[in-house]
Amino acid sequence: MSADHRKEERTTEHRFKWLSDRSLVILAATSTAVVVVASLVQVSFGSYSMTFVEAWRAVFNLNVILDVRVWNAFLLGGELPEMGERSLIVWNVRLPRVFVAILVGANLAISGAIFQAVTRNELASPFILGVSSGAGFAILLTLVVLPGLTVVIPIVVGHFVLSTSNLLPLFASLGGIAAFLIVYVIAWRGGTSPVRLVLAGVIVGTVFASLQTALFFFADDIGVVQNAVAWTTGSLRGTDWEQVRIALPWTVVAVGLAVAGSRQLNVLLLGERTASSLGMSVERVRFALSGVAVLAAAASIAVAGIVGFVGLIVPHMVRNIVGSDYKKLIVGCLFAGPALMVAADVGARLGMSVLTGSGAQQIPVGIVTGLIGGPYFLYLMRRQQEMGEI
Amino acid sequence: MNPEASENKRRAEDEENAEEPSDIVGENLVVGYGPGKKVIENESMVAEPGKVTALVGPNGSGKSTLLKALADQLAPEDGVVRVDGSYINDLSKKEIARRLSLLSQESVSPNSITVEELVTHGRYPHRGFFETVTEEDREAVERAIELAGIEHLRDRELGSLSGGQKQLAWIAMVLAQETGVLLLDEPTTFLDLRHQLEVMRIVETLRDESNVTVVIVLHDINQAARYSDRMVVLKDGCVSARGKPDEVLTKELLADVFGIEAMIQSTDRGPRIEPLRPTEDD
Repeated sequence: MSADHRKEERTTEHRFKWLSDRSLVILAATSTAVVVVASLVQVSFGSYSMTFVEAWRAVFNLNVILDVRVWNAFLLGGELPEMGERSLIVWNVRLPRVFVAILVGANLAISGAIFQAVTRNELASPFILGVSSGAGFAILLTLVVLPGLTVVIPIVVGHFVLSTSNLLPLFASLGGIAAFLIVYVIAWRGGTSPVRLVLAGVIVGTVFASLQTALFFFADDIGVVQNAVAWTTGSLRGTDWEQVRIALPWTVVAVGLAVAGSRQLNVLLLGERTASSLGMSVERVRFALSGVAVLAAAASIAVAGIVGFVGLIVPHMVRNIVGSDYKKLIVGCLFAGPALMVAADVGARLGMSVLTGSGAQQIPVGIVTGLIGGPYFLYLMRRQQEMGEI
Repeated sequence: MNPEASENKRRAEDEENAEEPSDIVGENLVVGYGPGKKVIENESMVAEPGKVTALVGPNGSGKSTLLKALADQLAPEDGVVRVDGSYINDLSKKEIARRLSLLSQESVSPNSITVEELVTHGRYPHRGFFETVTEEDREAVERAIELAGIEHLRDRELGSLSGGQKQLAWIAMVLAQETGVLLLDEPTTFLDLRHQLEVMRIVETLRDESNVTVVIVLHDINQAARYSDRMVVLKDGCVSARGKPDEVLTKELLADVFGIEAMIQSTDRGPRIEPLRPTEDD
């Protein structure tokens, strides 16, 4: 091929050509298939069992999908119109849980990917800068100190009821964000560095974890403790369209900013010094990107508690397949994160009843992500020499 | 400012650069790493516009520190740096990066990035937040790759390259910035002879065929003597000599600054030094 010809070809390249990267397409297709199959299992089984075909029909029930009032109820919290029993169970009980899992998986994966670049640390996860322990502490504090709080705030039309259960997501997210800010303040000394940030994160994390453990002693009944454990290991039990409504806007914002920031992340990977000499305001960009990652983590904490492992391993899995270009990595995470999360939630919701034969028992999804993710990660590590390199 | 206006301003800057060689000046610089750790004490330096200025000196003499101060990577405690007449503190980070580029001593990068991708990052200061790669950027990347002589490596991943090839890729990245001033921090250290020559050939091309003002820190005095138009010799944070290589390099200077006895030959590629032994008095 002549040089001129080659140049011609390169200059006509389309802006989004990288999206058609073969490995990325395969990853996206595989992940989507996993999500679809796992969702189908999820909507078919449970205390109200139906066959795959019945579940499939209910999922694609056009009367539901094309009804504006239904979506008004789901996404804006309006009144739900009448619908058949199967449709109700699939669309109002089982599918929202799948959607929440998708949102949580996407958020945790991009959050981890961002933190791995910002701290240049392959062990970074969404929780490296103290977010999880701050959130955990806030959760315990809320459950122990304000167990039965109900505040009624009168507003113009009717009133607004605040109770412990609907304040918890807010407090958990705020606790995580507060811990992140404390970490940043501690690490800051006329600027900061990845090492200082990670060290400060470990220290703040340890302190908050101690406080959190101490608070367990003040919990007066087993229900509170179980609730606390479910929140601090991450659970999708009882999630509903309300959780979709809570998480969706923040997810859209975080994903948009992450995709827009992927070039900054790529330049940051060249090292602080190079990034700075290329004209990047490293401190500002680092803080902004960390903020995006914390936002994503907080959105997932608000609806599912602290789900571990997903944010650590998904970026590595994706990097292993598409390489370390963050444009591809972020998009890959948007597919692979939900795949792991939805699949893990099948195990969390139905695994115990398969193992023990009895229904109704569920375990926190955070336990399953560890059980699936850990061994898979080990398998990758054994197979791949350069695993973990950013 | 709307994007078009900023684009025009950028073009105007570029054209300005094309006409006149850029100059970079450091005046009365005091540079250090915190209180009591001053490395450069009240020194000034002027880079000859459009020419190659070499900074040499023994280990710890402050040559890299001086370069970092010129590149705005280290804020001087006192003194100012001016590029093309503007104080560097008055310019935004991106404006600085459009006027001067710096190749640091150690560079890290992900292994799976390709050479072409790396070079394209050199266009960072020319691109807005949401801007895609323009025709202009592509042309600059092509020119840089050609100048660095790495067309055959463009699709290779960085992790698969030798140290010398990597260095050429990094040089191509700073060349793609297309700045009036190019600062290079020991670009030949740790390279094999062939790649040292390839790197210095790029510097030679810039000297002979462009208006770029080059300031280069070199460990090897012979390289500095051969490729530079002017030399600045540092010892303990002070400039001991400056001028043309054949004027600067004397037996006395080599004994005084580098602590060596040496023979100096005059060749048609500049003065050549043959170090003989360390001086006795140390």
